[in-house]
Amino acid sequence: MIQRLAWLLMVALCAALPATAQEREGPLRIEITEGVIEPLPFAIPDFVGDDTTAADWGARISRVVASDLTGTGLFREIPASAHIGRITSFSSPVQFTDWTPINAQALIVGAVSVDDAGKLIVRFRLYDVFAGQELGQGLQLVGTTDGWRRIAHKVADQVYSRLTGEAPYFDSRVAFVSETGPKDARQKRLAIMDYDGANVSYLTDNSSIVLAPRFSPSGDRVLYTSYESGFPRIYVLDVATAGRRVLESNDGTMSFAPRFAPDGRTIVYSLTQGGNTDLYTMDIGTGQAQRLTTAPSIETAPSYSPDGSRIVFESDRSGTPQLYIMPAGGGEAQRISFGQGRYGTPVWSPRGDLIAFTKQSKGRFHIGVMRTDGSEERLLTASFLDEGPTWAPNGRVIMFTRETQGAQGRASLYSVDITGRNLKQVPTDTGASDPSWSPLQK
Amino acid sequence: MTSAAAEAGGAVNTGQIISGAGHAGLIAWAVFGGTFNADPLPFEVTEVTAISAEEYAALTAPQSRPEAVANIDTPEAPEAGDAPTLSSEADSAPAQAEPEATPQTEPDAVPEAVAPVPEPEIAETPPEPPAPQEDVAVLAPEISARPQAREAPRVAPEPMAPPEPDVRIDEVERQESAPDPQAETRQPDEEATAPEEATTEIVTEAEKAEQAAPSRSLRPRSRPAAPAPSEDAPTQTAQPEQPAAPQTDDSAVADALAEALGQAGATGTSGTPQGPPLTAGEKDGLRVAVQRCWNVGSLSSDALRTTVVVAVSLNRDGTLSGDVRQLSAQGGSGDAARQAFEAARRAILRCGAGGFDLPPEKYDHWREIEMSFNPESMRIK
Repeated sequence: MIQRLAWLLMVALCAALPATAQEREGPLRIEITEGVIEPLPFAIPDFVGDDTTAADWGARISRVVASDLTGTGLFREIPASAHIGRITSFSSPVQFTDWTPINAQALIVGAVSVDDAGKLIVRFRLYDVFAGQELGQGLQLVGTTDGWRRIAHKVADQVYSRLTGEAPYFDSRVAFVSETGPKDARQKRLAIMDYDGANVSYLTDNSSIVLAPRFSPSGDRVLYTSYESGFPRIYVLDVATAGRRVLESNDGTMSFAPRFAPDGRTIVYSLTQGGNTDLYTMDIGTGQAQRLTTAPSIETAPSYSPDGSRIVFESDRSGTPQLYIMPAGGGEAQRISFGQGRYGTPVWSPRGDLIAFTKQSKGRFHIGVMRTDGSEERLLTASFLDEGPTWAPNGRVIMFTRETQGAQGRASLYSVDITGRNLKQVPTDTGASDPSWSPLQK
Repeated sequence: MTSAAAEAGGAVNTGQIISGAGHAGLIAWAVFGGTFNADPLPFEVTEVTAISAEEYAALTAPQSRPEAVANIDTPEAPEAGDAPTLSSEADSAPAQAEPEATPQTEPDAVPEAVAPVPEPEIAETPPEPPAPQEDVAVLAPEISARPQAREAPRVAPEPMAPPEPDVRIDEVERQESAPDPQAETRQPDEEATAPEEATTEIVTEAEKAEQAAPSRSLRPRSRPAAPAPSEDAPTQTAQPEQPAAPQTDDSAVADALAEALGQAGATGTSGTPQGPPLTAGEKDGLRVAVQRCWNVGSLSSDALRTTVVVAVSLNRDGTLSGDVRQLSAQGGSGDAARQAFEAARRAILRCGAGGFDLPPEKYDHWREIEMSFNPESMRIK
């Protein structure tokens, strides 16, 4: 009884001490662990211009910036119709009281002028409205009017990066296979466009089937597989000139699923010989090939880790297609996928922390991500046919192919945030498949 | 001889008893009398009642609120009915003004309430949900959950159904203080508004389409818990609250006591400038007010690993005095720390623009506030 009493007294004492201590000393302390996840509201009045031409460019550029930011799902634009204040001059101070009532938490102010040589000069500043401060330094970008969209993407990249802390990705391109015609007589061409679907140009004609374009680490070349010779063969194409050449391979073999190593000289690919498919690397300068796997099973869809030390690939050595990781020089492979279903087309994130993949389970296809040890698998999408993920340069967004069911089924490109939010279609005029996201343009 | 010896022995015994009693009294005085004055002793003994199971349950109930309210999201009629009963328990927490109400036997109940024995059963339930979910997936009513999850662009601690069409969603979420139960005399001139539609976590297409586990795993957990309190004794209600389970040590009891002390004091001496500290409810009100404006949606994954501690000074009317100052940042790089701080500052500036709702008579206690923003739990939404 006394023990209990003593214990209770001790407890009471323990309880009383902090309480009295708090009364006497120091500030009130609270811990916030729950917040909200919602798009950050921002305002971007049309960039001002010296004359009507410049003002016209200003309006167009600010629209692209707004579209880039809202397209991420992380930001929400407050429409101009709700604006109270008007920005008439780039240099005059901002009246933050005009922007707090409409809850604009970020404000982008810019100006455009056209110099004598016809070049666009774009200046902008970013403000944290509620703190009443400018975020970072104002920037000035100069470019040709042809490249006005790139300038806009660069502005948006700066804003995105400054507000989120993530690396940017708007000023990037996507190579893909453009598809026309019905499923049984489909024509395919290699095409390239801005990440948002604008500025499409074609790199090949539609005379032969092309598959799986893959950007080089510097974005200047594209690897792809073509049936031009009757067998699948790997080609390397220069994006600027559209010049191309076929890589070395022996007759009677099929080579496909190529991907660049981070060094930009080596490629890793699948080669089928005598009914067995294994992984090889090749120095595209010398044509020297090296065999990495020797299993009797099918090994394909290899992808390098960003540091070039390891390769993730797909193999059916366990009976069903699963994902494995091995050293870049070959050797012992470790299985990382253990969920139900079939896994394929693994792609290592440019950040190195995640692997994106296609999963087939219970008659549906998913795009998913997992950590490089196979943990924390998360399926992001589900449809009749989703496949072929590719990473945005900052490793935050994934683009992939979605195909609809039936003879009239059409392939199109979709993108989704790695959180699974913001799933949306990338606008393309024709059917589109097999996207490959370029690195950020210089 | 024998009687004399017995007599002598009796005398010795009596002496020993007297001596023993005297020493015992001396020791007791030395131990307790020297340490405590006479008053606190009985006072604290009465405080023991504060750690009654009910009190404990009531205290821990607010912590489970998000989960309990999550049931509102559940479209099934019977479960929707269950959810309010849970949340109503949560509401009963602040009403605990009478620590003396349930006295003596309660101390024994402490270990019982604390007893972790039943908890493993509940802890084992999470693996079960997949089975019910497969069944649920076929049920038509569940469909109504989908559009909700799909449309809500906002992930918040508490799910919110889409507001009525004619109710205005104010862009400034300060207005959300309208439904805040803590606020008593806050919004005299504000029109009717509703909180923006929200979901408790990100639901990917894959999860939506299959009605798969991750999006629902939280709800089934609270569902089996709901019948328990209604069927059993009130002390049982402490068991479903899993988050509180690990805290059933001395510190939890101490917390309970601390709060009881605060409450008891609050009722007694409110009005004096040097009054008692803020109650847990008042602190909660402040915490909720800030977290409603703490938007981590646009933070980088690096910034989501950064805990920042900021300091603010408040005026007597609850408005901010001066800027928000960063005290420390832990976990991320410099850039990440900056983003994390800016998000925290934005939360305080936005939600504190109209002044925080704090009791003016306790101004001395909240003149200076340190807020720690820990996004750990938001990272996996």
